[in-house]
Amino acid sequence: MINRIASFVGVRGVIALPMIWLLVFFLLPFIFVFVLSFSTIRNGMPPYEPVVNFKDSFLQLNIHLSSWERFFENPIYIGTFLSSAKTAFIATFLTLLIGFPMAYVIARAPEARRHLLLMLVILPFWTSFLLRVYAIKTILYNQGPVNQFLMKIGILEVNSPIQFLNTDFAVYLGIVYTYLPFMILPLYANLVKLEESVLEASSDLGAKPFWTFWQVVIPLSYPGIIAGCMLVFIPAVGEFVIPDLLGATDTKMIGKTIYVEYFNNRDYPMASVLSVVVLIVFVAPFLMMRKWQDKLAEVNDA
Amino acid sequence: MNATDLRPWRDPSQKPLLQIKSVTKKFSDFVAVDDVSLDIYAGELFCLLGGSGCGKSTLLRMLAGFEEATEGQILLDGEDLSGVAPHERPTNMMFQSYALFPHMSVLKNVMYGLVHGGMTKAEAETTAMEMLKLVKLEKFIKRKPHQLSGGQRQRVALARALVKKPRLLLLDEPLGALDKKLREETQFELIRIQETLGVTFVVVTHDQEEAMTLASRIGVMNDGYIEQIGEPREIYEFPKSKFVANFIGDVNLFEGEMIVDEPDRAAVLNDSVGEIAITHGVSGTLGQELTIAVRPEKLEISKKKSAKMLNSAKGVVEDIAYLGSQSVYHVRLDSGKLVKAFRANRVREAEDDLTWEDRVVVGWDGSSGVVLSQ
Amino acid sequence: MLRAIGFLGFIFLYIPLILLMAYSFNAGDRASLWVGFSTKWYFVLFENKELLKAAGISMRVAFFSATIATFLGVIAAFVLTRNKRFRGKVLIDGMVTSPLVMPEIITGFSMLILFISMQKFIGWPANRGMTTIILAHSTFCMAYVTVIIRSRLVDMDSSLEEAAQDLGAHPIFVFFQVTLPVISPAIVAGWLLAFTLSLDDAVIVQFTSGAGSTTLPAKIYSQVRQGVTPEYNALATLIIVIVGIAIITAMQIMNRTQRMHHV
Repeated sequence: MINRIASFVGVRGVIALPMIWLLVFFLLPFIFVFVLSFSTIRNGMPPYEPVVNFKDSFLQLNIHLSSWERFFENPIYIGTFLSSAKTAFIATFLTLLIGFPMAYVIARAPEARRHLLLMLVILPFWTSFLLRVYAIKTILYNQGPVNQFLMKIGILEVNSPIQFLNTDFAVYLGIVYTYLPFMILPLYANLVKLEESVLEASSDLGAKPFWTFWQVVIPLSYPGIIAGCMLVFIPAVGEFVIPDLLGATDTKMIGKTIYVEYFNNRDYPMASVLSVVVLIVFVAPFLMMRKWQDKLAEVNDA
Repeated sequence: MNATDLRPWRDPSQKPLLQIKSVTKKFSDFVAVDDVSLDIYAGELFCLLGGSGCGKSTLLRMLAGFEEATEGQILLDGEDLSGVAPHERPTNMMFQSYALFPHMSVLKNVMYGLVHGGMTKAEAETTAMEMLKLVKLEKFIKRKPHQLSGGQRQRVALARALVKKPRLLLLDEPLGALDKKLREETQFELIRIQETLGVTFVVVTHDQEEAMTLASRIGVMNDGYIEQIGEPREIYEFPKSKFVANFIGDVNLFEGEMIVDEPDRAAVLNDSVGEIAITHGVSGTLGQELTIAVRPEKLEISKKKSAKMLNSAKGVVEDIAYLGSQSVYHVRLDSGKLVKAFRANRVREAEDDLTWEDRVVVGWDGSSGVVLSQ
Repeated sequence: MLRAIGFLGFIFLYIPLILLMAYSFNAGDRASLWVGFSTKWYFVLFENKELLKAAGISMRVAFFSATIATFLGVIAAFVLTRNKRFRGKVLIDGMVTSPLVMPEIITGFSMLILFISMQKFIGWPANRGMTTIILAHSTFCMAYVTVIIRSRLVDMDSSLEEAAQDLGAHPIFVFFQVTLPVISPAIVAGWLLAFTLSLDDAVIVQFTSGAGSTTLPAKIYSQVRQGVTPEYNALATLIIVIVGIAIITAMQIMNRTQRMHHV
């Protein structure tokens, strides 16, 4: 009996472990970040005033609103948010344009070849994100292969390369290239369920291929399109590596700004404010939408 | 041969093995099983029959211990099973999906329960081998489930559930995944095994033919209720409700008001047939709405009214379906009502004397109809 | 038309990687101007003690992070799928999946703040290094592991577990003898994904590493920012080839076991 109780408590403890871990290493940090957004910079280590203080056995709250004020007053910050959203939006759209045909080709391929094609999509995703960004950087140099190729075939004049690197174009290309699998996989999952007979029915009823595609394929793949776009847009908005390595020095992306506030300006409270706003504006709605979708799925299953 | 009745439910002095007492199961506000009471006797092969969502599987899962009853009691050998975890119950279950462990061989699958029941490996292996011989799988013991055919998997699942000699074996659609031909063969195989081992079976099925073939008794379930419990013949010939009459086999229903109510005869006034005579007493009152159910094979059909047709109506043959062993006639009565009649095709070369658009009489005698009050 | 674009997409996916690898054999010292064929950069690479040390740290960090993340992820996935409703489920559910959509820069920054605060209040961790990187990586990798294992558990026929219980096995035995073996391909996949994610992270380490605990991606990152030499292409080529072979093998093993389990 005692053994049983001991093993029961043991099982409970093990089960609670991931929950405790998440509370300490995931939730707690965000609470600290939230609190820190009400602090202000100082010289020293850590480079900010403590918000909660014990003094003469009294709990003191030291709330500064200066970072929040700066955030709302300086148009740079709001502008960065808008430009991040714009960049992510354009990049997501481009990814969809390239990803959809690819997903379609895979889904319509004979079953034996489907696995190979899927593997080809997933493989670069597993290798390394950093190296894929690096690969884009290597080919975009002024003397790099893309420019050389364009000069060789005569589209560009010799010795007048286009400046690709450190432009918005490079950022878009980087996002499209690295996030393509995130777009293709949910689209594929959706398109593969689309039965050939539905397409045949449409053409049998006299629709030209384009209309079959536009009126049958696209509407039936909305769930995949939405899932894919979300999976690209959300991480792209907060992207730091791509604008940092491929974009211009003045590229306004929120991830980069957070890094600059933290690393260059050592303004931890401002970095906190920006993080909190990203969570509220981009991450929270996404999570809520997912919850909502789960609920819908549950209702549909029942 | 001595003359003991093999039907313990007919003997009031017999004690049931399993007693289900007013069991109700609710999932939040959905009532899956509604106040079910049921006794099952040792050695029975009891079928719970019903459509999907009627609560039969939930009832079975309560017997196995995967669901707790919201109200009521389940007694096995007089002992209350509530609060007894599935792994502590003397029942075993054969799952609809078979639920064979994919990473274990056939032998390991069958040994699993024995080892957890406290046997040594060697004992378990001997016992499992005996059971595998009984289901004719002794040649496949080293195979993994994915290397077996559907029928073989079904037998592994049966062997695994039976090998512990449970007090009660619960089978959830045991033949549901097999194709028709194999299913019919397996039905008799199942009965053979049940009789050899003497284990009590509770089978859940949606297939009425399967229930009729297998069962010693059938419990017909609908909407969480048990509509009727009885031997297959009883259920077919004496259904207690329209639902049961309709669910098992085909039936023609004639509704009407009772106009004669005497101890040895009665009559009901129906729109299509007129006065329907019944040659036995009926429990009911004058003026009550009743339904007379007549099975299609009990309906006679011919060009002229015969002497046996105590009740009859005229109509036109609208459709004939030739099914080989018998033919089905759809007759549109003059009142507009459509009835079904079966005729056995007894003589091979005889051309059918009835054809489409023929005017015919359909009728039945005074005892072939079943009087239903609900 | 659609087919043509789709086909070009596949080329687009591989051209940059192939060029990246090709330039590792460049005799010149610029990563993008082709001079001639040479394998010298591979020799240069193997003499770079600092890079080798960073690679060693990365491997150790990835191994421990993946192992912790898998251990926690299996439990979390099991609790979330096998318990119908319990208090705090929504909170845990949210916490388990949020790291998937959290920008790494925020994860990294908040981890940094946590470690600074912890040091202030309880004096640990005294400074940032391998331990803090492992803690951070385990946390964000756990989310991925949980998602993979969870979807496998949801797909898994729950009557397998019921059958084991029905045959007399205590729930603990059911977990170890039936659930774990059946989901083992997903556990392997989860561990591998966690390992590669940890091995790939160049952002969170910016916040959680300390002096002497620079990981390989952090090293590559700071180099790539300045512009690069074919030495790094050689390194990238090695990583891509090794990871590629590992992934293809793993996928093949998993496909085989998957086929067996989907009877």
